[in-house]
Amino acid sequence: MAPEVFNIAQTPITCHAFSADHKQVAVSLNSNDAQIYTRQGAAWTPTETLSEHDKLITSIDWAPNSNRIVTASQDRNAYVWQQTPDPQTGKVTWKPTLVLLRINRAATHVRWSPKEDKFAVASGARAIAICSFDPENNWWVSKLLKKPIRSTVLSVDWHPNNVLLAAGSADMKARVFSAYIKEVDDKPAATVWGSKLPFNTICGEYASPAGGWVHAVGFSPSGNVLAFASHDSSISIVYPDGPAIYNIRISSLPFVTLTWTAEDTLVAAGHDCQPVVFSGSEAGWQGVGSLDDSTSAKAGAGPRAGPGGVGRLNSLAFSTFRDADTRGHTGAGGTPSDTKLLTVHQNTITSVRPYEVRGGRVSRVSTSGVDGNLVIWDADNVSAVAGAFGGLRV
Amino acid sequence: MDNAFRKIDIDAYDEDVLQEEELFDADPRDPAQVLDDAKQRQSAVRSALARSDVVGALNTVLENAPYGPNVEEAKTVTLQTLLTILNTTKATEIPAVIKALSQDGQDTLMKYLYKGMAMPGWGDISGSVLLGWHEKLTEVAGTGCIVRTMTDRRTV
Repeated sequence: MAPEVFNIAQTPITCHAFSADHKQVAVSLNSNDAQIYTRQGAAWTPTETLSEHDKLITSIDWAPNSNRIVTASQDRNAYVWQQTPDPQTGKVTWKPTLVLLRINRAATHVRWSPKEDKFAVASGARAIAICSFDPENNWWVSKLLKKPIRSTVLSVDWHPNNVLLAAGSADMKARVFSAYIKEVDDKPAATVWGSKLPFNTICGEYASPAGGWVHAVGFSPSGNVLAFASHDSSISIVYPDGPAIYNIRISSLPFVTLTWTAEDTLVAAGHDCQPVVFSGSEAGWQGVGSLDDSTSAKAGAGPRAGPGGVGRLNSLAFSTFRDADTRGHTGAGGTPSDTKLLTVHQNTITSVRPYEVRGGRVSRVSTSGVDGNLVIWDADNVSAVAGAFGGLRV
Repeated sequence: MDNAFRKIDIDAYDEDVLQEEELFDADPRDPAQVLDDAKQRQSAVRSALARSDVVGALNTVLENAPYGPNVEEAKTVTLQTLLTILNTTKATEIPAVIKALSQDGQDTLMKYLYKGMAMPGWGDISGSVLLGWHEKLTEVAGTGCIVRTMTDRRTV
């Protein structure tokens, strides 16, 4: 099935989160507001605006069961939005509740825990705020995970047991913490990450191979494997009980986001503008191919401009300058279509998330990009094409 | 308007500041030993080149290359050794040689190519050679290799 492509805006989409029924999506269009779009046939129309933040919204998460939205922003605040009927008119609107984050730098990433009774906010204050609801005071309180984080936390991901939390940070490390809150959590069963788990226990710390910021982290569906993508154009898969770390250096630009689709498969995307599938097991991991079949559909489009095959630097730009130098050609060297990438996304992919689960596997994933596009991909439609992806080695 | 305050090093007043050396694991070897190693390799490379074993020579240089602070001399020696190899390799052999290297080797080679281009004066001598290798290396190892050169704090 071909990917569904929706051009939501002419501005970058910083992040996106679908509602449980997929009829609505909350996005941040690189602004202070979160926009809710509702699907009408083949189009998305803006229906509501959540405005309360006074700086850029960096991350949004939509809890599927409790139907609550949480937004995190550079204004160091997070809000939990809940649909409540207006006492006078009875009209249902999204009402914000402020969260006491107690951080003094921007919030960078936010995710609900699997049970939706907690959420984690990553921040530039070298801390992760674990927030839980305090019914007595009717607000969200936070506890900070601080040690031993040395720099901005860029991403977080929850373990399915609702207690463990993975975090990727700009100090080039991916870590696994215990985010156990006595008032909320039952005593967790022992996992491969450890058995005694008081708050702020460090269950694992893994460095990126060539010193890149860890942009994205993710637990596998079972929670027994951790994957992280870092800015040194590599992706690492950690088996804590092995202990084995599989590191795949990729030949293209770095990934900034990833999601698992099954226990043996994950999708990563980023500056290369296409979602790439990796698969493997305890015995080893490798790149399989891209969800973006850039050869067949647009085969007539000529040589690939932009993130081409391995190591082909953009020869188009080179030849433009060479023509200008040797033959005095200026501008108009190529047609306007020359600047169009052969990938579906025309710019960096900012976020990839599971969209639809079928038979225990994520069958479709959604991506949003700096090009303002929201795309829904068939996660099994992997094209291992040479040329666009041929040189990927393990 | 007074803007001298912009020049204040605010990190100096932060007890918890992130130091440069925390960003990578330090080389466990002693600086003097690193320099010794580098000089020994120089002769090992010469004999490898005499047998026209370019891959072997490159591997000798690129393995455990010196990095970090206090080993400037060893770094320079290693760069010189590497340049001898690069200069003596025929352009047609380059792709095969690069493909025979490990990924670690390719990444380290890229670091040295950039270091060579960054050294004042050195570019005049071997600039075109470095650019030739850079082109071939990028074709094999991709832009990811360049990204790793930029991110890695273990500078050679």
